[in-house]
Amino acid sequence: MLSSVISYFPTWDVWLQAAIACLVPIVASFVYKKTYSLAGKGRNPNTAENKKDPDPPAPNNSPFSGDYATDLATIRERIGGNSDLCSREFRMAKLNVRATLFFVTGMQNDRVLDLQLMEFLMFEAGADVYAEPERLHDQLPFNNLFEAPSLDSFNRSVLFGYTGLLIEGQPSGLLIECPDGANRAVQEPLSEGLLRGPRLSFTEMLSVNTSMLRRQGLSEQLEIKTFQVGTRLQKDLALAYIKDIVNPDLLEEVKARIQKMDFDFIAESGYIEELIEDNYLSPFQQLQNTERPDRVIAAMLEGRIAILLDGTPFVLIAPATFSMLLQSPEDYYERWLPSSLLRMLRFAAAFMALMAPSLYISFISFHPGLIPTELALSIIEARQGVPFPSLIEVLILEVSIEILREAGIRLPKPVGPAMGIVGGLIIGDAAVQAGLVSPFLVIVVAVTAISSFSIPSYSAGITLRLLRFVGMIFAAFLGMFGTILFFLLLCSHLTKLKSFGVPYLTPVSPFRPRDWKDLFFRAPRALMKRRPAMMKTQDDKRKS
Amino acid sequence: MSSPRKLVLLTLFLSAILVMPTGCWSSKEIEDVALFTGIALDKGQPAPIEKEFESKGATYSKRNKVMATLQLVPFKSQKKQGKKQNDQKSTFLNISGSGDSILEILRQFSIRLDRPLMGHHLKVIIISVDLLRKQSIEQLTDFLLRDNEIRPSTLVYVSQGPARETLMSKKLNEVPSFHLSKAVRNRSRTSKVLKPITLSRLDSLTHSKKSFVLQTLVTGGGELELSGASIINGSTGQWIGSLNQENTECLAWLSGDRNAGVIKTDDWNGETITYEIKSLRSKITPQVKGDQISFQVEIHTLGRLIETWDEQSHPTTNDYANALDKRLEDKLAAMMEELMVKLQSKYKSDVAGFGRRLAIENPAAWKKVKEDWDNVFSRSEITFAIKVRINDFGSFTED
Repeated sequence: MLSSVISYFPTWDVWLQAAIACLVPIVASFVYKKTYSLAGKGRNPNTAENKKDPDPPAPNNSPFSGDYATDLATIRERIGGNSDLCSREFRMAKLNVRATLFFVTGMQNDRVLDLQLMEFLMFEAGADVYAEPERLHDQLPFNNLFEAPSLDSFNRSVLFGYTGLLIEGQPSGLLIECPDGANRAVQEPLSEGLLRGPRLSFTEMLSVNTSMLRRQGLSEQLEIKTFQVGTRLQKDLALAYIKDIVNPDLLEEVKARIQKMDFDFIAESGYIEELIEDNYLSPFQQLQNTERPDRVIAAMLEGRIAILLDGTPFVLIAPATFSMLLQSPEDYYERWLPSSLLRMLRFAAAFMALMAPSLYISFISFHPGLIPTELALSIIEARQGVPFPSLIEVLILEVSIEILREAGIRLPKPVGPAMGIVGGLIIGDAAVQAGLVSPFLVIVVAVTAISSFSIPSYSAGITLRLLRFVGMIFAAFLGMFGTILFFLLLCSHLTKLKSFGVPYLTPVSPFRPRDWKDLFFRAPRALMKRRPAMMKTQDDKRKS
Repeated sequence: MSSPRKLVLLTLFLSAILVMPTGCWSSKEIEDVALFTGIALDKGQPAPIEKEFESKGATYSKRNKVMATLQLVPFKSQKKQGKKQNDQKSTFLNISGSGDSILEILRQFSIRLDRPLMGHHLKVIIISVDLLRKQSIEQLTDFLLRDNEIRPSTLVYVSQGPARETLMSKKLNEVPSFHLSKAVRNRSRTSKVLKPITLSRLDSLTHSKKSFVLQTLVTGGGELELSGASIINGSTGQWIGSLNQENTECLAWLSGDRNAGVIKTDDWNGETITYEIKSLRSKITPQVKGDQISFQVEIHTLGRLIETWDEQSHPTTNDYANALDKRLEDKLAAMMEELMVKLQSKYKSDVAGFGRRLAIENPAAWKKVKEDWDNVFSRSEITFAIKVRINDFGSFTED
């Protein structure tokens, strides 16, 4: 009895294989954790605070002495070395006191400076200003007028573009006239063009950007909170959200992560994205970037939070989910049937952009039996004389297409299109003629490239381009099995990924049927009565 | 910091090493394999080239039971830089060899070819009548069914002459095996093309030990024709006889699996009239009275009278139509009679599905006669009730 059971027991080699198979996920997760902790340390909130405490901003505690000559000398000594700093010393005629105007060239409106400021200060400012120093704010006829709390903040502000005014007998310096540096006019969004919809795009000025959000509509619930970020060069960062919609926990989390950021200079919103995202090892972006105010306001109405940074037109939207990457504002502006079709096309295009070359490799190199016979014959004829295995063949063309695309961004505008033609037509045709690649592959690569252009978000496009190469390697080594394995790995990674606590793949997983109305197709607006369930908003009704 | 990083890198490297050499083993570039799209099986005799090889001592032990011919595609003399390939000679290569086992013959080809054979794209299997007289079809297709590369959707044909001749074509740019696999498309125009028998269908037929028919091919002048059918005996699996084209047509109508085809007869003036079947319904009703089994076959067809050579006729009146119906019914009945004589008396095999009807309608009676069905069938009485209706005369000008 027992022996008959034992005879069904597998031999030791089967057990060994089982043990190895069991080890694979354990080792993989160990490796992942190790890799994650390697770079994760720089983002640790504790280290960030520890660093700040021992080196307090030392210059902050050097107050104005109150004595004009001393202060002037100190300022000159500290920042006088800057050759673009102008200091104009003059005498205020009615008061008969000396005063100095500090400013950096090129950061003020010269006409205002010359005609109005100087004229007023030199000839018109009378005794009433001087007599009541504590009422200086009220008396000087400037819109922007701050009293600098310390000599150092005075210096910093002057170098940032404020006009500083030091008057004899005054206890501290004054800052008048905000910086008015070179700025760009509002243009159409460059990275997210669309046919129908507002053509407005954010600019590099934070105040302009926030005003664009305010101008979207009258509301007292749109709240914008400003933070200072960067340890060495400080910059303004603004959080924008709709107060009575946003989930308070989410808001707290975003605020906490922003405050934990520890970096000397935040040059672009990409820095923020990388510093506050959940998983820096993931190829997928966990915050969406956009330069369209309408997209931002729509996201805010879904309960998301916008992060605006001074100096960049790209605004981050947190949290991001996978479906957002393939949605375009146009989906909502057009009628629901055509936009549903376009959205499904985009999903198909994303799949092709990701998988087409890997499918090509696995069909050509591993499963010729799965190609229809006539097609197989023409591929064989086309590939006669191609000396490379399919992976090398695909890599040659894919890499050159990527180089071409990269070159296309850098090239000066008049040369760009010409380069595209030269690259696309001539290189492709010549490669086929030279027998480097088969004509069939040119179709595959072209379809892939075109598909990847149809993805509305540029960053998502780069992600797919990156993953395409990984998929190609998988396909080259393991064929169709590898391609499917790659897709499954991708799916399992996406299922696990979260953006600010919101699962990345929701509403697919975890399954939220209510949100499917706006996933693969867009339901008519009459049906979308409530905000997405995934955001867990305070007020989820869109219609009263 | 550096030691865990090294460890991680090492692990990643090692796992990559593990995966990469173990992958690739099944990688075969598509241009590095030889696809064969047709296989023809003939009576065993060394092929001409083989004879030459053998005369030089290139032999192995074999008794030459069967000769297999493969059609390899695409076969082209490679022309580099030739954008205009106007001098395409033949797009295929036939290679023959004989031996005792089909797999052994295929493997024997490997010492003659530069690329390994791949059978995923096999389209047709053609077996010659001569070979089927000696060997059963089960023996011949055993390997083809077992092999996992070869699709069960491969079509099976029988060839009247040498099977390898069906794989030759004089037409430019035509691969005969593709021609054969595509020819079944004509079933919508004529019932002379039988319902194609695939390998998987053949498997079920041979295992049920029932007689069945396979489409016969005839070659001539470098072209080929689907002509009639071959009857394979259920118990022996061997060829026992052929049906001509009209028999084949009638067989298709009788089993009701196709409603196409024309019936041609003469009218009372001796001129040709042609009727094309638009729809056809047939019903076989078995009747069991004691031991006597008889069948009643009803055939109803609707169609158009589309060609008449009789200039005196007035082809729109009802009387005219009824008279023609009658003549056509007689003609169809005669055709059916001819088929039944062949099936019942000459070959004694039920290939039209009478047995199946009986099994469905009267399982008890079927059980009794199942073992000896072909004999019982040959004795049973079969009556026909045929109705032909013309409902369309085409367009013509009235005087």
